[in-house]
Amino acid sequence: MAIEISNRLGLANVKSDFIHTAGRKLEDIHERLLELEAKGEVKVIHIKEENKPIEAETLLGWKKKIPTNKLWHHKSCGQCGNIPGYPVSLLWFMNQMGIEYVDERNQTSCTAWNYHGSGTSNPVGLAAVAVRNWHRAYELGLFPLFHCATTFGDYKEMRNLLVENKELRDEVRRIMHKIGRDLVIPEYIVHYSEWVHVMRFEIAKLKKYDLSSVIATVHPACHTYKMIPEDCIYDKDIYAGKRTAVSTGVMLALGAQVADYSTWYDCCGFGFRHILTEREASRSFVMDRKIRPMVREAHSDVCITQDTGCTTTLDKNQWIGKAMGYTEQVPVMADVMFAALVCGADVFKIVQLQWHTTDWRPLCEKIGIDWKKSEQEYNAYLEELKAGGKTVNLYEYPKS
Amino acid sequence: MEYDENGVSIVPADLKKEIFEEARKDFRYEEYVRGCLNCGVCTGGCPPHRFFDFSPRIVLQKMKSKDPELIWTMMDEYVWACFQCFTCAMICPFLNSPGGVIAILREIAVRRGFESAKKVLKPYSRVLLKLTAYGNQLSPDMIQPDFFPDWGPHIGYASTDLSVKRKAIPMPTLQVTNLAWDVAPETMKELYDIFDEAGVFKIIESVDPSLYEIIQDIVDDVRSS
Ligand code: SF4
Ligand code: SF4
Ligand code: SF4
Repeated sequence: MAIEISNRLGLANVKSDFIHTAGRKLEDIHERLLELEAKGEVKVIHIKEENKPIEAETLLGWKKKIPTNKLWHHKSCGQCGNIPGYPVSLLWFMNQMGIEYVDERNQTSCTAWNYHGSGTSNPVGLAAVAVRNWHRAYELGLFPLFHCATTFGDYKEMRNLLVENKELRDEVRRIMHKIGRDLVIPEYIVHYSEWVHVMRFEIAKLKKYDLSSVIATVHPACHTYKMIPEDCIYDKDIYAGKRTAVSTGVMLALGAQVADYSTWYDCCGFGFRHILTEREASRSFVMDRKIRPMVREAHSDVCITQDTGCTTTLDKNQWIGKAMGYTEQVPVMADVMFAALVCGADVFKIVQLQWHTTDWRPLCEKIGIDWKKSEQEYNAYLEELKAGGKTVNLYEYPKS
Repeated sequence: MEYDENGVSIVPADLKKEIFEEARKDFRYEEYVRGCLNCGVCTGGCPPHRFFDFSPRIVLQKMKSKDPELIWTMMDEYVWACFQCFTCAMICPFLNSPGGVIAILREIAVRRGFESAKKVLKPYSRVLLKLTAYGNQLSPDMIQPDFFPDWGPHIGYASTDLSVKRKAIPMPTLQVTNLAWDVAPETMKELYDIFDEAGVFKIIESVDPSLYEIIQDIVDDVRSS
């Protein structure tokens, strides 16, 4: 098959039968993990039949099993604290599809945002936190699903370091025994965007609106595809397998146009510490390297993200651009939030766009979503809650 | 520390050597520092290179030089410019990880309580407190207009009637304002034990002793609850 380009806007929809070649010898850590398990060195959280896995391909053509059921939600503090519609949209889809999961209080953050921002941890601390959370999923008989791309990048790195270093394993095992846990490692480290990717055709069945005139630009997260790059999903039918397929895949399945822009590979400017305490760098980067190219080159209606930090950085830093005379603006939301929106999830109660700073209303109007009605209902709901009403939850804690 | 007539600290050569040895002894070092072509591909893709006098190519070249004097020159604000995006690691033809080297050097800077690290991390202490004492990096009540005036007028939305808006989020774990999710005290205690055993509390003590005391008070309260 020759290269086939069917999208006038860019490369997203390019297919190729090009076979990935490594060009370099990298060891498949998955194989080594199973060897360690066979020697009794570690316990492995396996993906079982009941997890209903779907297979995907990674950068070097390796297979990766993505569990789609019986999941343990490993939340992201940046999402839960600041973009609540992110995890809510994911749970909303899982409810629509009858997927079993647990979301509970017994989870710590991965602490990797802090590490990459301040250096105030070390590999033993990071790996012990990771294993602690993996073990919690293990004891519940569930497979962990990581919401944050930084968690994903960090946990991929910790898994690799643990597999490669006996000293680290011994130290982490010692700490785990102290807190009544054990050294366990998941068979695959799975990001929620990978779940969305393999479920994209199921998601698309729920679609309520025509998206053929919606132009999206995708910002792939650095810690998804640049950290441990060999462990990230690529697909020969998306960007001809030359860029990570996650997020773009679901947008194409939903029938949106995914447009190209010259700085797609750039990071968002988050910088871990910079976004909090050196924001001039973050916001300049956001406007000059991401938002302006997305709007000027691609006429983007929406910027689609797959991570906590990127969603925050790209959304929050557009307003200040006006001080530089930059008028370009584009609403920012994660793939799963956009998908929920166009599958009929409530704009305010589920997708929770009210927390976002860059105006998303024109996008809703373009799609045909009545956000005003949704706002009125939400405000009435807040009044009910103020008067002592009860929240209509998507999920209740398991009774233990 | 001693200073010369220009106010620049005089650092004994032995200390510089120790720093280099400490970096080289890190078990990730061999993985991060391989050969270097001096090609500059990493720097071409490095975001902060556009704003700061910072280059991952220089980081790798200095490490490859094995010259403690040269490596020492990066131990101040230099290492703090990196965004930790790992673009360099992905595109380096030699599979180096300049971003990974930076992480090692930063760890040394905070472990040893260097003044430059203290200065850089001072405005960050609120976050450090939240993460270390409660197990979450960020909480809804931290998004206040006075901390983020550059995020525009809408940021005030997040701080008015916050508790009812959080209560309206249909996930019970998220219906709190002082944490991103409601972390169970037993879970926090496990995290504290990890921080104790991995030396994380000690690192915070060396970089910000007064913050460490505040954290310890909270930790003691939770532990005795
Ligand atoms: S990466 Fe950051 S936001 Fe995400 S869970 Fe870890 S600490 Fe929280
Ligand atoms: S990890 Fe640091 S050095 Fe590497 S490209 Fe990113 S900012 Fe530059
Ligand atoms: S670290 Fe890699 S990309 Fe950077 S100059 Fe050296 S060989 Fe080139």
